[in-house]
Amino acid sequence: MNWRQGRGHGADLCLPLPARLCLLTLLSPPLSSAAPISPAEPISQAYSLALYMQKNTSTLLQTYLQYQGSPFSDPGFSAPELQLSSLPPATAFFKTWHALDDGERLSLAQGAFLALTQHLQLVGDDQSDLNPGSPILLAQLGAARLRAQGLLGNMAAIMTALGLPIPPEEDTLGLVAFGASAFERKCRGYVVTREYGHWTDRAVRDLALLKAKYPA
Amino acid sequence: MALFEVFQTTFFLALLSLRTYQSEVLAERLPLTPVSLKVSTNSARQSLHLQWTVQNLPYHQELKMVFQIQISRIETSNVIWVGNYSTTVKWNQVLHWSWESELPLECATHFVRIKSAVDDARFPEPNFWSNWSSWEEVNVQDSLGQDILFVFPKDKLVEEGANVTICYVSRNIQNNVSCYWEGQQIYGEQLDPHVSVFHLSSVPFIRKTGADMYCEVSQGNVSKGIKGIVLFVSKVLEEPKDFSCETQDFKTLHCTWDPGVDTALGWSKQPSQSYTLFESFSGEKKLCTHKNWCNWQITQDSQETYNFTLIAENYLRKRSVNILFNLTHQVYPMNPFSVNFENVNVTNAIMTWKVHSMKNNFTYLCQIEVYCEGKMMQYNVSVKVNGEYLLSELEPATEYMAQVRCADASHFWKWSQWSGQKFTTLEAAPSEAPDVWRNVNSEPGSHIVTLFWKPLSKLHANGKILFYNVVVENLDKPSRAEIHSIPAPAKSTKLTLDRHSYQIWVTANNSVGASPASVIVISADPENQEVEEERIVDTEGGFSLSWKPQPGDVVGYVVDWCDHPQYTLCDLQWKNVDPNATSTVISTDAFRPGVRYNFRIYGLSTKRIARLLEKKTGYSQELAPSDNPHVLVDKLTSHSFTLSWKYYSTESQPGFIQGYHVYLKSKARQCHPRFEKAVLSDGSECCKYKIDNPEEKALIVDNLKPKSFYEFFVTPFTSAGEGPNATFTKVTTPDEHSSMLIYILLPMFFCVLLIMIVCYLKSQWIKETCYPDIPDPYKSSILSLIKFKEKPHLTIMNVSDCIPDAIEVVSKPEGTKIQFRKSLTETDLTQPNYLYLLPTEKNYCGPGPFICFENLTYNQAASDSGSCGHVPVPLQPSPSQLGLMISPENVQKALEKNYMNSLGEISAGETSLNYVSQLASPMSGDKDSLPTNPVEPPHCSEYKRQMAVPLCLASPPPTENSSLSSITLLNPGEHYR
Repeated sequence: MNWRQGRGHGADLCLPLPARLCLLTLLSPPLSSAAPISPAEPISQAYSLALYMQKNTSTLLQTYLQYQGSPFSDPGFSAPELQLSSLPPATAFFKTWHALDDGERLSLAQGAFLALTQHLQLVGDDQSDLNPGSPILLAQLGAARLRAQGLLGNMAAIMTALGLPIPPEEDTLGLVAFGASAFERKCRGYVVTREYGHWTDRAVRDLALLKAKYPA
Repeated sequence: MALFEVFQTTFFLALLSLRTYQSEVLAERLPLTPVSLKVSTNSARQSLHLQWTVQNLPYHQELKMVFQIQISRIETSNVIWVGNYSTTVKWNQVLHWSWESELPLECATHFVRIKSAVDDARFPEPNFWSNWSSWEEVNVQDSLGQDILFVFPKDKLVEEGANVTICYVSRNIQNNVSCYWEGQQIYGEQLDPHVSVFHLSSVPFIRKTGADMYCEVSQGNVSKGIKGIVLFVSKVLEEPKDFSCETQDFKTLHCTWDPGVDTALGWSKQPSQSYTLFESFSGEKKLCTHKNWCNWQITQDSQETYNFTLIAENYLRKRSVNILFNLTHQVYPMNPFSVNFENVNVTNAIMTWKVHSMKNNFTYLCQIEVYCEGKMMQYNVSVKVNGEYLLSELEPATEYMAQVRCADASHFWKWSQWSGQKFTTLEAAPSEAPDVWRNVNSEPGSHIVTLFWKPLSKLHANGKILFYNVVVENLDKPSRAEIHSIPAPAKSTKLTLDRHSYQIWVTANNSVGASPASVIVISADPENQEVEEERIVDTEGGFSLSWKPQPGDVVGYVVDWCDHPQYTLCDLQWKNVDPNATSTVISTDAFRPGVRYNFRIYGLSTKRIARLLEKKTGYSQELAPSDNPHVLVDKLTSHSFTLSWKYYSTESQPGFIQGYHVYLKSKARQCHPRFEKAVLSDGSECCKYKIDNPEEKALIVDNLKPKSFYEFFVTPFTSAGEGPNATFTKVTTPDEHSSMLIYILLPMFFCVLLIMIVCYLKSQWIKETCYPDIPDPYKSSILSLIKFKEKPHLTIMNVSDCIPDAIEVVSKPEGTKIQFRKSLTETDLTQPNYLYLLPTEKNYCGPGPFICFENLTYNQAASDSGSCGHVPVPLQPSPSQLGLMISPENVQKALEKNYMNSLGEISAGETSLNYVSQLASPMSGDKDSLPTNPVEPPHCSEYKRQMAVPLCLASPPPTENSSLSSITLLNPGEHYR
């Protein structure tokens, strides 16, 4: 556990200013303040972080695939049919998505990023086993997990500001298949890094909508 | 008690014989059939695990049995493997046996059955097999789940070069499945409609993270998913190489080996191979923590022989190597220490060192190496505990590096590391006299002797040379020897000696003492400089010098030269030559092409007096001249000119100047008689003349055409070629007649100049003669006119006769002048009652010109009123004023006319005129009124124009005497009436 924290710190140092601010927000307890907080500020912070995350998601996916060998490293590799039951899909019908209220929308994103943080941890462990000599991939996975956690914190702050109930943290992974074969683990990592990107895209849209709704 | 034991034994034997009999009966009649056959699977190992028991086995009896096992695939009739398994079976024993399938078990149903037979020596009868057990079906596929595709085996670990069978199970036969091995599509054989098998033979090691095999399921063009496996191919574990063990202290054995390739794989599939050390005599084992070395503690002093087995092991293979050795033969001693040098003197030193104590009676063999300036001496010495060795035949004042290493003397295994130290031997007096030479410059009354010496070689210096002693002794008259001490590293000194013979001793000194002396004698006579210089050439990288053998006693020859003759400090070098030799070769890296080297050969007499014998000069390589002479063109005529370059130095050139080439370009196609045609480097043609004498530094170029354009270029040449290319100098021959013209023009010029000088010198006289400031009326041409008119009573007033009564200086401001002029103009119209002496001319501005004999100075009233200020006459320049501007003839004519007219009128009118003359101060107004007057009167005094004043205007009317106050008669008694 100590090692993981240490790694997280290392990744933290590499983060740019907006991300660091967001992580500070995460570290400071959002509910400690007695005064009601304006939702505009946490929305803006979350939006900045999501935008920053969005810039790095494709790099993460490409780096991940590059280290997995064929067929993952083949040019243009894509397997949309691969899904993980423990990870909610980011794709949604637009009408359905648009019809969601703030609470539902944030709650879905919250749940997804909670699942993603746990899955990114799992993928990081897998890869440190498979590719111990690839610090770049491991650092990127660690950084992605930390940012997902930062976004979770921001979302919690938004929900607090909006007076919405914060869903409890759950073990979304449940009983993970430790005996999964190497190929299955590679596939799992692929799905996680891919969905991380999709969910980041969706979070940007979610937060943009909220931003418009609660201007500063 | 004993009785009871005997009884018990008897009973047991009886029972055993009974059992044996029973079993024989059973074996013959009741076959020992395998029962309770259960088959389990291990997917990871792809193995079937069988367990069974043997029925009808007698109680507590062991039988050697053989079991035949049949394995079928897909269906029972498709037997793919049959094998026997022999073992000793006990009563009620559960038997286990495993079989590994090359095909993943998930891909096909397997069937297993077994039968047995007794294979025991106690039953020599021919065996008969029991019946087959019933087929046991092994079907793993059913437990796979509902996925559309499965690929097996998962994460299999194989060694490089192994054959691997891969299969997939597709749930839907409608689906199209394509499989790829490391990105390349592979095609398998169909086992059944759902299962395909791929045989990969001799799989290579691709990467530590495994090789990938995946299959893509698609229906039509729609991909429905991918499934794959990672095949972990390990490198083949190598046998450790160079395994050996040694000890430094008889307490620890240090074993090392070369591990070869690391067979670790990613994903923790296989760690790096492990190494285990096993010693068979002691039966001890140790797992080594390092991959290439291991330490083994020696626990028993008595054990001398060791038999080590090094076992390398990974998940797939085990390799081992073995060494057997005697501990005392594997001693790698520790480094010697405390290396010291005692009693270091000029040529000897005692080296001491210590070695680590070992067991009793352990003897070291130590090796000493002594280094000095690239040389090495080696000594071997036997040592128990303390080493000591006398290093002799050393050189004085030399730094040595000595090092020692040791090994086991009785059983050489390995040298220890070196331990070393530096030491320096003591100095001794220099052993050889310095090599000395001199250069003597004779000056009036003295010799300037410069002594040069070469530093002693290290071999002869025997230490650091601190100074050189130069002792000078006069040989001609007894006197005290002079001693000069010159500190090192000086290599020369200068002495001024009078014209006596001197003997000079030079010694080199270090801290211990002086070297033998080098003796040189300077004779009182000046050096014989009258020696001809001979030219030599460099051959094969050196100057070969030879000279005539000298009669008399010559103890040797010395050749000296300068390495850098072009510099002031020319770096004098010398070479001593054997007295029997008459030639030598001077060769040095300092020689440069294009530099002239001068060699002097001296013979040394027995008295050590050097006498100059010969001089040689030459170039190591001659070069073309570096510059061209500055050529002067002289004696240029229309047909010839002379080129000269007398200041060109032939000595300081990079080669011996052999002559000059003179190139001449002209418009004429033909070359002059002595010239020959040549083509220049730029392709242009010209004429060339060759001068073969380097001292001939002039050339007359003749037979030229006048007024023609020539270009020339002079360049010296050496054996290496001509001087640098340069521009041609242009010369144009003069015209043939131009000289004539010069002969005429020059005297003319001088004549004019002479006249001008004379004129200048006699300017006063000319001025007085030609244009005096005060014209002399006697010289005036008017006189001639007067004479011509024959008016004898007319006379001219002599200025000197005038007695001025008063002088009034009038100074008129500028405004007044203008006003004055204006008033004059105005008064033009008023027609004053002036006497018009001269006839009017139409071109005058006024009503008519007239002469007004005016005296502004005296006639103040008239001047002020302006009645007489209007002076039209000055517009008509007076003859005297225009005398220099107009030709004398015109002046004469004008004067004649004017005078004729005026006089005519005067005579006609019978006008009586008083001629008034005054000395007046200058008036600027006059200048204004006389704009055309080119000669201004002097400022100091001005002679006013003489005017005739009519009597009528003379106020008061003239009387005989009263006019004297204002009018001075020009000549008393001769004025007009």
